Amino acid sequence: MLVTVTSRSGKEVVKGGIQLSENATVKDLKASIHKRTAGKLYPERQRLSLPLVSGQTRPTVLDGDKRLCDVFPEGSDHIVILKDLGPQVKYSTLFFFEYVGPLFIYPMFYFLPLYKFVGLPEKRVIHPVQTYATIYWCFHYFKRIMETFFVHKFSHATSPLSFVFRNCCYYWSFAVFIAYFVNHPYYTPVGETQMYIGFGLGIICQLANFYCHIILKNLRDPKGQGGYQIPRGFLFNYITCANYTTEIYQWLGFNIATQTVAGYSFLVVAAYIMSDWALGKHRRLKKLYDGKEGRVKYPNRFVILPPFL
Amino acid sequence: MVCQEDNFYPQSEGLCCRVERTNESRIMAGLAILKRIYLAVYNWVVFAGWLQVLYWAVQTLRTSGYEAVYAAVERPLQFAQTAAILEIFHGMFGLVRSPVSATLPQIGSRIYVTWAILWSFPETRTSPIVSSLVLSWSITELIRYSFFGMREAFGITPSFLQWLRYSTFYILYPTGISSEVGLILTALPYVKVSEKYCLRMPNRLNIAFDNYFATLFTLASYIPGSPYMYTYMIGQRAKALAKAKKSA
Repeated sequence: MLVTVTSRSGKEVVKGGIQLSENATVKDLKASIHKRTAGKLYPERQRLSLPLVSGQTRPTVLDGDKRLCDVFPEGSDHIVILKDLGPQVKYSTLFFFEYVGPLFIYPMFYFLPLYKFVGLPEKRVIHPVQTYATIYWCFHYFKRIMETFFVHKFSHATSPLSFVFRNCCYYWSFAVFIAYFVNHPYYTPVGETQMYIGFGLGIICQLANFYCHIILKNLRDPKGQGGYQIPRGFLFNYITCANYTTEIYQWLGFNIATQTVAGYSFLVVAAYIMSDWALGKHRRLKKLYDGKEGRVKYPNRFVILPPFL
Repeated sequence: MVCQEDNFYPQSEGLCCRVERTNESRIMAGLAILKRIYLAVYNWVVFAGWLQVLYWAVQTLRTSGYEAVYAAVERPLQFAQTAAILEIFHGMFGLVRSPVSATLPQIGSRIYVTWAILWSFPETRTSPIVSSLVLSWSITELIRYSFFGMREAFGITPSFLQWLRYSTFYILYPTGISSEVGLILTALPYVKVSEKYCLRMPNRLNIAFDNYFATLFTLASYIPGSPYMYTYMIGQRAKALAKAKKSA
């Protein structure tokens, strides 16, 4: 079949179209576009979709191993719309840069005499909570980096390069913001009991979070069924995104122990972002497992933050 | 299909359904009119505010001098500029189509200069920069509010107003933005010594606020912010003028 590839404004991207065999898949099409665009648009950079049908607001995105002849509606022209997603990086690269910043930024405020540069006294009494907080923080980001390389299975292979800059801005500036106040020469610590409760809650939640990530990894195991699966076991029996729940409560623990406005504002922003993702995932799973026509019904669960959401 | 289904149900239910549907469309039409009236009033009221600002600024420049400009325009300036906060909400609730990412930095920086600089640090008020600031702002806004006011109130978009709306920014943006930056720089030494709005540690919530650093931070945000807004407007211009050509 002959497939016409156009840009979103309707201009033909590959002159003369692409001739493919009847059994060709979306993957094959992407590979030949890659070849025909002088190697610039590698498959991960391409987003292919069908032209909008009237009344449709979001285009149908084509991906995976679907056969092209099943993709095009009966009797339609073989047109796909190509969007250049921009330069891509591996997801693990994105995560690594996000986390390596905080891992090094935070201890700099603890160890180095940085406060003299803003006119504050160089000498300071270090409270025990500040030492524990530094260990806690570094352990947290070390754990995240290790999980990135040895635990996580990513559902998307790559992410746009621009996300690296955006996400690093977010993670790195919050690291500076929080580290500055927790290690401040005029820092006021909370009582000892509160500190132990906070760190205790935090450590338990980090361990639970690690276990959640193992469960999610096994869900995406190559031996498994692939696609969207219902997460089960441990906290997932009660919460759709237990991995986010434990992550949020883990930060809550850190904040109970350190008590800074900076830390709590990070908690609020992070919880907001993760709730957004969680609602999306919950919705997708409920739609996929609607209990109709023999499909499994998605069980009744909290989305992310029991007992509220 | 719909007709058949209507026939399937008892007559009264079908009727009831139809009545509800027309009621709903009537409510929608009513809301659309209400929205238009509101936007028309909003645009013309703020226009009146900026008209006073421009009038008093020119009048004062002719009669006494730039030192007196701020005192002459203070009230209408604060009124018209603060009213622009509503525009962020217009964008948020879908009353107008401009994205929050474009209105927020523009209006935010203006509100900042109006209240956190001019109002908070009276030492800046006698600067000649106030005149260039007030002139740039008021001319831009008079064009903008009359353009949208015309559209909402009378449903017309005069082509010369549209051209002005999407062309004057080439000059008035740079003059306006450099006046804003100039005024913040003027205020900087006073911000530093006054300690106004500063919150110091130690306190139980472990938070501090230093207005001097915040001001430096704001100044730095103009470096990426200004070219972003300028190119955004150039894009808007291309879009609007292309549209006008098409419909002409």
